[in-house]
Amino acid sequence: MKRFWVSIFRLGIGLGAIAMALSAHGQSMFRGDPAHSGNSNATAPRQFHRVKWKFPTGDRIMSSPVWENKILYFGGDDGNIYAVDSETGRQVWKRTTGGPVPCTPAVANGTVYADSYDGKFYALNAQTGAIKWKFATEGERRFEAKGIHGLQPKNQTMADQYDIFLSSPVVVQGAVYFGSGDGHLYALDAATGELKWKFKTRDVIHASPAYADGVLFVGSWDSYFYAVDAATGKEKWRFHGGEDPLIHNQVGFQSSAAVVDGVVYVGCRDSNLYALDAATGKEKWKFFNELSWVIVSPAIKDGKVIFATSDSSLYHVADAATGKSVLKQQDKAYIFSSPVIAGDVVLMGVLNGTLQARDLKTGEPLWDFQTETSKQNKGWVLTADRKFNEPMFFTSNWREAPVVGTERQFSIGAIFSTPLVMNGVVYFGSTDGNLYAID
Amino acid sequence: MRLIATILFASAALSQAAESAAGRWEGAAQIPGHELKLIVDLSDEGGKGWVGSIIVPGFGVKGAPLVDLHVRGGDLAFAIKGALGNQRAGRAELKAHLTPDGHLAGDFTQGGNTAPFVLEKTGPAQVDLPPRNTAVSKELEGEWQGDYEMMGYARHATMKFANRGADGAAVEFVIVGKKVNNVPVSLVTQDGDFVTVKSEEFGITFEGRFVKEAGELKGTLSQGPMEALLLLRRTP
Repeated sequence: MKRFWVSIFRLGIGLGAIAMALSAHGQSMFRGDPAHSGNSNATAPRQFHRVKWKFPTGDRIMSSPVWENKILYFGGDDGNIYAVDSETGRQVWKRTTGGPVPCTPAVANGTVYADSYDGKFYALNAQTGAIKWKFATEGERRFEAKGIHGLQPKNQTMADQYDIFLSSPVVVQGAVYFGSGDGHLYALDAATGELKWKFKTRDVIHASPAYADGVLFVGSWDSYFYAVDAATGKEKWRFHGGEDPLIHNQVGFQSSAAVVDGVVYVGCRDSNLYALDAATGKEKWKFFNELSWVIVSPAIKDGKVIFATSDSSLYHVADAATGKSVLKQQDKAYIFSSPVIAGDVVLMGVLNGTLQARDLKTGEPLWDFQTETSKQNKGWVLTADRKFNEPMFFTSNWREAPVVGTERQFSIGAIFSTPLVMNGVVYFGSTDGNLYAID
Repeated sequence: MRLIATILFASAALSQAAESAAGRWEGAAQIPGHELKLIVDLSDEGGKGWVGSIIVPGFGVKGAPLVDLHVRGGDLAFAIKGALGNQRAGRAELKAHLTPDGHLAGDFTQGGNTAPFVLEKTGPAQVDLPPRNTAVSKELEGEWQGDYEMMGYARHATMKFANRGADGAAVEFVIVGKKVNNVPVSLVTQDGDFVTVKSEEFGITFEGRFVKEAGELKGTLSQGPMEALLLLRRTP
């Protein structure tokens, strides 16, 4: 009898240790792992109970938090990289960079990696925030084009107001990989910051590279999606997405790929979700979304691909083998936040300022959390039923009016951040400047 | 005698209301975090019926027509056509009453949200009357078709012109791409050989020249920022 209890006790410790190990290494970069499956080890609550805490910053948060040893790390558009105690919501440290940090940091071997709009890539001590090394790229910029999205005057080059993320780094086997507005995919020595190689594309890379079996997978705004040898930086294959020479709206890979079982799943601004053979780049299938962008990174589990669209605001589940629709639900506003599978719940942020939980099997909404800023609905950015109220913020196509309109659209506590689930708590950032912990 | 007195009184009251409601009204709706300026012009066209238009400074709205305009006693209600609304938000509506101190006060509803507004009369009405359909020439009546390409997709357009007496011409406009789109036409005009067909709802405009000798209607179809050449020929 005594032996029995000792065994159970030991088993309990053993399971706990395994869970700790999974937690410690499972949520330390964008989408949880280098392949970006979006399949969390954690279990999300099926009901909303409370806001556990919120951590205010000086500007909007587009970054998604990551977790390592009970500390959350994320970037702020106020130029800081933050470390926050996940239990208390108290700041552990902050490190100021020279520009906004709308990327998701990666944490490995006691180092936090993130890039900033100041054109530098930072490696910080995870405990103190002290700079270990900095690497200067050829400079950051947003995607830009003449007459982009129909903005006028159409011969004027303007930056894309929806290019809001920076590339989130991935750390694998002593190397850190990230894309840049200078058009390169970089590989640096994770310990020293020394350049191992750089791979040139013809336009901005703000997607996060996915890694599987020694290959990096990333798309560029030059309309191509690339597979690059992680050791040498040599191109293995490239895949051509759609082009849009007229208004540059239906072009570019903003979505970060997910790689599962030899297949690359990636969304595109040409409104397709593509499934590509990871070995050859050959298209297996594509899911057309009627001109609505697929910005999110898909989540994959049990032969199903979960993704969502931007302005058509649709939540989709497709068969991973065939690309056929399994279920579709109409949401209320644009979705840029990537879906996360946590147990039998799918979580994602919506740009109307709500975090949404859906049942994995049925897709039915379980609960949502609305930020206070969204509830206030200043300037009626939202309709009474929380849809975007375009006539109240897009008043003209001329000059900077659409940019101002987009800023107003984002001002209502929009959630671009991809939620992180740890120990039953959901963490995410909002454009209202808060990092939220809810359970 | 009493009946006549009542009728006279009612008619006097209506005429007084008309007089009071007619004019240019300026003020603002108090939406959360924003004061939405409104300039409303209302006229009863000398007793022929109420017409009106609205200006919303900062929103690119100048002279948008007021529709479903009802004035009864001191109460008014109307909706705005082609501005501050879309398929998702529906149309913007205002309900108001004349206050004893001569203001127009009420509720502004848009996208399911409601906010109070108060307007003050600042002068006589300056209603922007919307452009009206004109008749088209006999040679243009009937069905025309052509093909064009937009964003890499081929489309087939059909326009069927018919004169409708005093209402000017009407056009049945169909665009076939991946789907069949019946395009609701809001304006048709012909000025000499220059023809305009406009759909406010779809944001589509065709502007072209009618080349009688060649039997062609040749012009440009624009949809938002996109433009495509479109050559229409009479359906055989």
